[in-house]
Amino acid sequence: MSAPDVGNVGRFGSGRAVQRIEDAALVQGQGRFTDDVQPPGQLVMRFVRSNHARGRIVAIDTRAARALPGVLAVYTGADLQAAGVLALPLAQGFPRADGQPISPPPRHALAVDSVGFVGEAVAAVVAVSSAVAREAADLVMVDIDDQPAVVNVLDAVAPGAPALWPQAPGNVVAELRHGKPAETEAAFQAAAHRVQLDIINQRLAPSPLEPRTVLAFIEAGRLVVRLSNQMPTAVRDTLAKCLPGLATEQVRVVVGDVGGGFGMKTGPYPEDLVVAFAAMQLQQPVKWAAERLEEFLSALHGRDLSTRAEMALDAHGRVLALRLRSYGNVGAYPTPTGLFIALAVGPWVTTGIYDIPLIDFHLSAVMTNTAPTGAYRGAGRPEAVFITERLFDAAARQLGIAPPELRRRNMIQPSQMPYRNPMGQTYDCGQFERVLDQGLVLGDWAGFEARCAESQARGKWRGRSVTTFLEWTGGPVLVENVAVCVTGDGFVELTSATMPMGQGIATSYAQLAVDVFGVPIDRIRVLQGDTDRANGFGSAASRSLFTGGAAVMVASQKGVDTARELAAEALEVAATDIDYAEGRFQVVGTDLGIDLFELAGRQPGAAIQVQASAKAEGASWPNACHLAEVEVDPDTGEVALVAYASVNDIGRVINPQIVQGQVEGGAVQGIGQALCEHLAYDRESGQLLAASFMDYAMPHADVFRGFKTVFDTSVPCTTNRLGAKGVGELGTIGATPAVVNAVIDALARQGVRADRVQMPLTPAVVWQALQGQQPAPINWPA
Amino acid sequence: MPLLELTVNTRPVRSEADVTTLLVELLRGPLGLTGTHVGCDTAQCGACTVLVDGEAVKACSVLALQVAGRSVTTIEGLTSADGSLHPLQQAFSACHGLQCGFCTPGMIMAAQGLLSQTPQPSEAEIVHALEGNLCRCTGYVNIVAAVQQAAGVTR
Repeated sequence: MSAPDVGNVGRFGSGRAVQRIEDAALVQGQGRFTDDVQPPGQLVMRFVRSNHARGRIVAIDTRAARALPGVLAVYTGADLQAAGVLALPLAQGFPRADGQPISPPPRHALAVDSVGFVGEAVAAVVAVSSAVAREAADLVMVDIDDQPAVVNVLDAVAPGAPALWPQAPGNVVAELRHGKPAETEAAFQAAAHRVQLDIINQRLAPSPLEPRTVLAFIEAGRLVVRLSNQMPTAVRDTLAKCLPGLATEQVRVVVGDVGGGFGMKTGPYPEDLVVAFAAMQLQQPVKWAAERLEEFLSALHGRDLSTRAEMALDAHGRVLALRLRSYGNVGAYPTPTGLFIALAVGPWVTTGIYDIPLIDFHLSAVMTNTAPTGAYRGAGRPEAVFITERLFDAAARQLGIAPPELRRRNMIQPSQMPYRNPMGQTYDCGQFERVLDQGLVLGDWAGFEARCAESQARGKWRGRSVTTFLEWTGGPVLVENVAVCVTGDGFVELTSATMPMGQGIATSYAQLAVDVFGVPIDRIRVLQGDTDRANGFGSAASRSLFTGGAAVMVASQKGVDTARELAAEALEVAATDIDYAEGRFQVVGTDLGIDLFELAGRQPGAAIQVQASAKAEGASWPNACHLAEVEVDPDTGEVALVAYASVNDIGRVINPQIVQGQVEGGAVQGIGQALCEHLAYDRESGQLLAASFMDYAMPHADVFRGFKTVFDTSVPCTTNRLGAKGVGELGTIGATPAVVNAVIDALARQGVRADRVQMPLTPAVVWQALQGQQPAPINWPA
Repeated sequence: MPLLELTVNTRPVRSEADVTTLLVELLRGPLGLTGTHVGCDTAQCGACTVLVDGEAVKACSVLALQVAGRSVTTIEGLTSADGSLHPLQQAFSACHGLQCGFCTPGMIMAAQGLLSQTPQPSEAEIVHALEGNLCRCTGYVNIVAAVQQAAGVTR
């Protein structure tokens, strides 16, 4: 091995915009996404999916498909059930409206007896090629007896709606009420001002660019499953639990490059079970690569929360109480994550950075004939922050108080930290007013009138907004384990169960290891995505850096300490007499020393190996001030985002370029929810209307490029070793209310009321508001 | 099955191709060039963009037999024989114009298609050229910046 060049080590440590170690392979087309792995003899699986929103399966005739040359197997739900394949683990831990534990319907790998949404898989064919698989799938005759279906959440809770599941009376599968209803009602009665809004956080398709892909094969008697997923260990454990005769040790899950996750690839899918089952049955490699249509139909969806939101304020604009009645549309097979998001995560951050004494949050998780919902970037926090920030702007208009001023009057003060919010969540730190002040300067709040006049001169209506908020990051597991291996051939290998999916986590880990080892970054390797090497929660909820990164730091230090002891033995001196710097141990005051990697090469196995874990004491609470300005074309209703400034309090930053990419890329997803994205079902037929990128409008390259993004790193998180706060979702959460409030402001300035418009604010929606045709108030259930 | 001859990344290639085989299937399958990705079924995402005789084309929308006798360049063909990166590849990394990297080969090939026709594009021309390519991670800001950097045009 050549001696490492240590001259520039300092350039690659934490705090620097180091070029990502992930990039070289990806820009050359040398990534290893699941579908890039093509073992010889690989068979192709294709699913037959329900065309009906709801119905009884009368018969599935697979004879013609089986008879087709090149077809190796055709499976139905009944076949899998007979073979002992179990349904996915059920959601639990939440109550129903009557206080009983929830009992949601089982999600079988393939539908058994009935179907619950358009796109639910009812059969699977395995063939020698995708062409044969496609032909065979067309030959599977599925006879489904239609039943009345319902896709809209408020339709599902209306009197006379079809009853979808006996254990969900009124289609409400779970229900929670947080807070103090009576005291909240009293506060509303006594309040000087009351604001009420109907708010729909529409259903979205997370849409990572890489569709789900699963490859299963048998290797040395074990089941190996390669797939695109954020939680390999959860997939392994579920496969072992649901497939017959399989112990956990007999399953290995491997994840290569993941082409975006955004929460949608957290944990096991029904299709994963079927692919793995087929590989075990046929003892050959079987692959399923989802088409985009299948992703729209059957990958987890995000959001879909309908809320009647009310705020009570005193005469001075102090918020006295918040009251929400929310209906979360969790689909035909409520998932653990979908329920957790609808019933818990959102409420945790609804009062946000504001000191609001009273809440009454009444939340129902409602079953419908739609695909199940799960995590999508923000997962509950975007919905909640959108509701609160819409209320603040509506209140500011009603009370005639400037939006920043109304927010300022209600902010939690630094002296109140640690602050326990009405949901029992404790914030460790935050300087919210200071962040607001920085934001107002960055976005030139004071100079708006001149810009507004300039827009007006061009015939455009300009509007602005300020959004101040915090969010919860960390997920339910705050501990991470990292193994460090210093190899004799010159590398420091870090092994972690967290998962890369585009967030540059390997680079950030490598930078943290460079801080400790002082070797060049090209000496660091990061190994992830193999349940034979590391197991844990995986990556979600913006947790990986402040949990896994802290473990990298601790394990790296342990690695140096261990090596120091070994160096002391090799050099026959006391460890305390040895200095370590830049890959070399040196006896103080002498020229006697040994290279770290040479030392490793002398050890048994030619390596020095240590393991260590780190545990955060709590969630981290990043917070921010996001300001948007839009121009509305009064003739067409078209909205153009023309300015976006954000100040983000995110604690310690390891790689500023990566963090900026997270905030701004995340913001564009939030802008997508505000302006164009809507995963719509047809209310009558239950068919999915937005089933391709032609119908589902994601932002394109022309969306916006003028971000002013600033980080305030002066308030490090106090509950983790790094002082970092999770940053993966902050941009998405801030952007949606920022853009929508700016549009409503633009119209309000011209005397057009738009407080009842619902996202996405397409030209058609805005144009209707311009014509004075706002949607009617929602007729909420009694 | 018909026999197909074409040039891929400057090398002559002979392969059998069914009449229904798409160019992207030929590239990813028999030719093993998996840098060209498939992200949708409707020619919307652009992850499969390659150059055919220098022009950016979505390889999911072209039959393999349609490119007989023509020259195809994929992302694998941009890297020099000595292993050095193409200016676009360098710029995408330097500007953080990629996160998960799944759309990146298509983005780079679409950008290369633009730069071969218009070496000094305006920002509007870059945005227009990338309209057929979706990225869910970056928000496009750094992708446009990367193309500008590779073209040597100031922001």
